[in-house]
Amino acid sequence: MSDYGVLLQQVINGLSLGAMYALLALGFTLVYGILELINFAHFNVFMVSSFVGMWALELLGISGQGQVLTGLALAGTLLFAFAVTMLAGGVLGVAIERLSLRPLRGVPGTAAMITTIGVSYILFNVILLTVGAGSENYPNPLPVVRWQFGEVIIELKTLLIWGVAIALMMALQLFVNRTRLGKAMRATAQDPEAARMMGVDVDRVVVTAFFLGSALAGAAALIFGLYYNYTSFIIGYTAGLRAFTAAVLGGIGSIPGAMVGGVLIGLIETLGGQLIAVRWTDVIIFSILILVLVFVPTGLFGRAAPTKS
Amino acid sequence: MTRTPARLAVFGITAAALLFPLVNQNDADIDSAANALAFAALALGLNIVVGFAGLLDLGYAAFFAIGAYAYGVASSWQLQPAWSSFWEPFQWLDLVIRFHTAGGDVVHFQVSFWLMLPIAAAIAAFFGVLFGAPTLRLKGDYLAIVTLGFGEIVPIVARNIPSVTNGAMGLNGVAAPRFFGFDFGIDATPYYYVGVAIVAFLILTSQRLKDSRIGRAWMAIREDEVAATAMGVDRVRYKLLAFAIGAAFAGATGTFYVAKLQTATPEMFMFPVSVMILVMVVFGGIGSVWGVVVGALILQILQSWFLEDLSEWLHALGRFVGVDWLQHVELASSIELIFGLILVLMMLYRREGLIPAARRTRTLSLDEQTVQPARSGFTNLAARDDGSRLPLLEIVDLAVRFGGLVALQSVELSVPAHSVVAVIGPNGSGKSTLFNAVTGLVPTDQGTIRFAGEEIGRLRPHQVLDRGIARTFQNIRLFPNLSVLENVMVGMHARLVTGPVGAVLRLPATRGEEAAARERALEILSLFGNRLLPRAEHPAASLSYANRRRTEIARALAAQPKLLMLDEPTAGMNPAETLELADQIGSLNRYGLTVLLIEHKLDVVAMLADKVVVLDHGEKIAEGPPAAVRRDEEVIRAYLGRSAVFA
Amino acid sequence: MLSRRVLILQLSTTALVGALVSRIRSAAAADKTVKIGINLPFTGADAHDAELIKDGALLAIDEANAQGGAAGYKIEVLLLDDGTATAGQYDPAQAATNARKMVADKGVVAAIGPQMSGSGKAMSPILSQGDLATITPSSTNPDITDPKFAGQYRPKGKAIYFRTVTTDAFQGPNMANYYADVLKVKSVYVLDDSGAYGVGIADTFQAQAEKRGIKVLGRDQLNPKETDYATTLTKIKSLNPDALYYGGVAQAGVKVVKQASDILPKMIKGGGDGLYGAEILRGAGFPAAAGWYATIAAPNILENAEAAPVIDRFAKKYGQQPENYSITAYDAALVILDAIKRVAASGKEITREAVRDAMQTARVETIQGEITFDENGDLQNRVISVFRIVKDDKYPPDDVLHQYKYLGVAPQSS
Repeated sequence: MSDYGVLLQQVINGLSLGAMYALLALGFTLVYGILELINFAHFNVFMVSSFVGMWALELLGISGQGQVLTGLALAGTLLFAFAVTMLAGGVLGVAIERLSLRPLRGVPGTAAMITTIGVSYILFNVILLTVGAGSENYPNPLPVVRWQFGEVIIELKTLLIWGVAIALMMALQLFVNRTRLGKAMRATAQDPEAARMMGVDVDRVVVTAFFLGSALAGAAALIFGLYYNYTSFIIGYTAGLRAFTAAVLGGIGSIPGAMVGGVLIGLIETLGGQLIAVRWTDVIIFSILILVLVFVPTGLFGRAAPTKS
Repeated sequence: MTRTPARLAVFGITAAALLFPLVNQNDADIDSAANALAFAALALGLNIVVGFAGLLDLGYAAFFAIGAYAYGVASSWQLQPAWSSFWEPFQWLDLVIRFHTAGGDVVHFQVSFWLMLPIAAAIAAFFGVLFGAPTLRLKGDYLAIVTLGFGEIVPIVARNIPSVTNGAMGLNGVAAPRFFGFDFGIDATPYYYVGVAIVAFLILTSQRLKDSRIGRAWMAIREDEVAATAMGVDRVRYKLLAFAIGAAFAGATGTFYVAKLQTATPEMFMFPVSVMILVMVVFGGIGSVWGVVVGALILQILQSWFLEDLSEWLHALGRFVGVDWLQHVELASSIELIFGLILVLMMLYRREGLIPAARRTRTLSLDEQTVQPARSGFTNLAARDDGSRLPLLEIVDLAVRFGGLVALQSVELSVPAHSVVAVIGPNGSGKSTLFNAVTGLVPTDQGTIRFAGEEIGRLRPHQVLDRGIARTFQNIRLFPNLSVLENVMVGMHARLVTGPVGAVLRLPATRGEEAAARERALEILSLFGNRLLPRAEHPAASLSYANRRRTEIARALAAQPKLLMLDEPTAGMNPAETLELADQIGSLNRYGLTVLLIEHKLDVVAMLADKVVVLDHGEKIAEGPPAAVRRDEEVIRAYLGRSAVFA
Repeated sequence: MLSRRVLILQLSTTALVGALVSRIRSAAAADKTVKIGINLPFTGADAHDAELIKDGALLAIDEANAQGGAAGYKIEVLLLDDGTATAGQYDPAQAATNARKMVADKGVVAAIGPQMSGSGKAMSPILSQGDLATITPSSTNPDITDPKFAGQYRPKGKAIYFRTVTTDAFQGPNMANYYADVLKVKSVYVLDDSGAYGVGIADTFQAQAEKRGIKVLGRDQLNPKETDYATTLTKIKSLNPDALYYGGVAQAGVKVVKQASDILPKMIKGGGDGLYGAEILRGAGFPAAAGWYATIAAPNILENAEAAPVIDRFAKKYGQQPENYSITAYDAALVILDAIKRVAASGKEITREAVRDAMQTARVETIQGEITFDENGDLQNRVISVFRIVKDDKYPPDDVLHQYKYLGVAPQSS
């Protein structure tokens, strides 16, 4: 493979990864934008949702990668799986907010964030104890189709990721910019007090943010399973930290920022691995996180500086 | 609160700790206890960072790793550079030996464990400052993520440099400590006693720091960073100090841990360990020295001693009650889940932890609560009016802009020494912004601010306090969980000199300074008669609104300011309280204090002010003695609207 | 009046003191029983594998007990967990504590474990001091039995860390020989999973490969917690080596196998005993897993007629097939039982010193063939068996014994 070819392939890989990070980062940035809360549990909501997606597909009788569907059957199966997984993710997110975060609304300091760490641990261990530590082979009805362009290979599942991610991001943008509830969310993000005085039901906005964010995590989780044919209890961990970095890089609280940040981190991961070595990827990405927070705290698109006055 | 029961408890615990290995000769139990002590030390260190200074550090295990590997590398066979004459002085100091191998002579490091304890602490502290310096100005949650990042990076780096650390496979041959020829070897007992000594020392250090100027500064930062800086606490310096000292604790503990284990692998220092220490701190009581020790010991000992017994007990219970899953639950594998639950439940229901840091104070008796407040001015302030009337504060052509919003424009103001100047104006006219600009909380875009001849526009808030300007805030920014007395003593921060070393050693000079400071604080409280003195030990949050306002003023006075800036001091007070406070401000001024005051109540202004300045939409529209300003057309128009002018 | 805080402090003190006092043990009356300690990481990420090892050992011990014990002595098992929640996996500090526990318990005459070499490093000096021998079915780091480090790991001189598995010092290099001699590989890319075992075996493989003239085009480390290895695999594809070698366990291994089948379909791909097991078959599935080479640090058990009934009994008792390390654990237990029998037969008292000496001179027929130890405690029969995953439709896809086709013994280095 020529140097140019391999770089191009890595770019393609990076964009696919980036799409997933973007979806995860979106959910995360939605909550932060409104509550100024770093929700550690988000990434294990992602992990739990991937198992739900797996069970949903198994419910339809699919197991392993052998049973391939096409056309209407494929579309219907995917629609069902997405619906179930996103709903499960959303409900889980809302439950977490209701049970463990709402009682702490208004408590100063880092109590809420510590609680999300605890919830994250609980989710992680519940799966570890029930399903076990092994990797699960993901049921996948997608046919394996590869297109070769010169030295570069693009697969059907890559297009699936991009397609779903873009569709969801556009839907989110529409929702936030065109609907009343979306407007209420943006208002609350800018100034909760003023929003409340204008009659916005802040509780409802918070629940919506959690639902949407966690549903997006659910979508990301199903895509993840279909792309890698794999899931396990640990997938939230690394993906989570990378997605968080993506959100910060793009500007925490900014939706376009999360999307761009996700893609950038995906590209950094693949190109860094190609040009340097994979063993340093974590260090590179964390260094970026630290450097961004220290020197450009607003990120690329952000509005609020994460420093105290 | 009597101290005797507390002292007895401490004595009991110490005796139990010292006698334990004699009573229970089981080597494994002693070893478990030594491990538990190591985690108690770590919890104490994290407590300084999270509990005292309020900085959430999610990567604390990084410093643990640094201390561990420092000792590991300095006392094992891992590094073997070629011998040269450069190493001879080190050999003379007994830090290295010359070792013959087939390939030539090499250096073998054998730094003594005892020497390495403080050295590893220093190395860890260095890294604490290194990590902290660029990042400590970030908000709490961002700091948490950055520290998490460092916590991830350090073990990865340790893994990726096998030539220094033997990477993933772990160090071989870390030397055991030697004590005057006695080799510790593998017996757990000597390690246990070293552990007890380390924990005792760290408890003492924590307590001393907590009850000192340093501890107060940390807690002020934790409670309200902005108010802390306005009261003279250099928050960057103190945050770094907390970080560094916390890191030092972990570094020393790392050395101890690795010396006992005689090996170290990067996997021993990963994120779950950092979270575990946090759980111990949260469980035991954030900010409480004994609390975190007890929390750490309980959670560690629970894991190593009681888990199988508890599982058996649950099985028996399951059989008794007939519940199937109870009979099969294995607590050992569920322990992480249990810790997650502990974290969540503690945060929801008992945020103070097992042993809360805040003290319970005795409630006031009915008599004390209903006593008639003595209303008077201050009678026991030293007169300091030297007669000069030169301008103390001079503001020239000041402009402050927030993005597109112009908050202040072309503002000129001069406050003569020993006078009272009042700033008035409708809401949103920029009065508080003016105060924030003078005290350094908000950057200025144009103009100069001179105080006693010195340009102070570029100074940070704590530096402004140091020059002699103290202020109160419009919406009262006290340190809610600190007592009234402690709040006032924070005000003295800039006038005291005790540093961390002095605080820990408690030299006579330090004790003298503390005692004098406490006396002065009580004196200042007594200026307000019997309003604040009986409540000196009560948490500031429990006071009435008016008393909180008085406490804030007392705190500002404690800084021995030349200029006192009061932002709506009588807001929310009833007429009687207002008059009383105005009286007191008047007395302060008569005895030499220059006062710059934002006020809405025009009768107070008339009573106190020598000069009144009126702001509207960020510009000065009038200035002069109160009577003249009251009749000024511009002023009337600003307050009441155009039509009022002709009324 | 006592403040509540002081009250809590006093109660905690009392509780702690009470707890400390209750830990004073009284010596158990010795019946005709002996104890074997089993130390494995039952908490955390390695829990599943730990269970399988325990099951293997317990099968042998329960069977012996059912027939009246070893030389009339009933075998009691002391199960210890060296995994902690703090570490989230095996914890060397806890392993050290467990070693002391076993040493302190006079009834323990031998031990099985640990699973991970990191624990082994912490336990070995303590066991040596206490003259207590242990047999590990899975710890393969050569340092612990290396005479170079004898001062560190067996200060009292005698070998106490025995293994029923060959160390990485052989598994890696022998596979390199196989790559060179049998597979005729000229260039290779080496990966590891950044764990202690993976790095060790990849290092020894790489060193031997270079000695045998195979060009090592690159070496990188994978993060087992990550999912996407496409970056590395694409990089490897662009370098186009003849073969790939993966040193590491299944957590990363499953993902490597899965993704390599997409990106590197035609390349020769192999690894160590981390790739031998049902988790790889289940996690990666077919067609991804097909074609991968794997080695185990023991002779092929299916060749041994004795194996089949044991496998059946294991499957019947535990409802699943035994893994590689279940067998080595079973064999470890057999060695200990045999040692106890021989000590009793010689008329001596069953002490841990006697048992250790008997283990040193062991010559036991086990499922992996005849087991004897050298003076360091390593297996003398250093057989590395090479397997290839070849789909056999007659058996279920996660049937380890039939989906891994035995190819032969990897050549020893001269």
